[in-house]
Amino acid sequence: MTVIPEHVRAQLKARFELRLTGPVHLTLYTRPGSSRLILPAGLGCATCEDARQMAELLRDAAPEKVTLDVVDTSRDPGRADADQVDDVPTIALGANANTGRIRFQGLPTGTEFPALIDALERVSRAEHDLNAASLAELAKLSQPTEVMVFATPT
Amino acid sequence: MSLANRLALASPEIRALCIEANEFPRLSAQFGVRGVPHTVINRGGAFVGALPEREFVAAVLEGAGIPMEEQPGTAGPSTELSS
Repeated sequence: MTVIPEHVRAQLKARFELRLTGPVHLTLYTRPGSSRLILPAGLGCATCEDARQMAELLRDAAPEKVTLDVVDTSRDPGRADADQVDDVPTIALGANANTGRIRFQGLPTGTEFPALIDALERVSRAEHDLNAASLAELAKLSQPTEVMVFATPT
Repeated sequence: MSLANRLALASPEIRALCIEANEFPRLSAQFGVRGVPHTVINRGGAFVGALPEREFVAAVLEGAGIPMEEQPGTAGPSTELSS
């Protein structure tokens, strides 16, 4: 396991002990991997195994608060369609299995890893920290709205 | 991406999707990603760079087809979306 070094895992465990208050459910959408081989679209998944290990480490850092479901989209394509998951690996976070509206598509390493941890902690604490004016504006939304953010690890 | 996640936490209508741009080059090309963070609302309008909370919310609402009311003395930088 090289995605998260041992000392970071220990830091994570200590941090989660202090910061997690409520449950967090992770859903990992994945497909049988192909080690590091890059295959044509739709075949294999170069980062699915790393994503699985990352999701398991997050769960194992606070198993009393964090639960994990793994969905193999090659065996259950209907689930991916129903959950509107386009590609793998995708990690969805929510307070329960039905509210995974925060998603990371691809392996969230580098600068994306702190964003994943921040999201997990915010879900656990139900803490969005938005101001009242923003909440009033967001209340105007009456249709599902997708906010895609492209990012890179560096 | 943290702000997008916070919006998704605050509103049941919002789904935040953080995409590793290098891992999905075709998707990045499809949405014209040249720099990050590159934010796309409802797979239409987009903006590049980090925005303060108010401007980010305004951009999301604009992308969802809801103009945000201007508040006196709080006009910030343009959040007009490119499409």
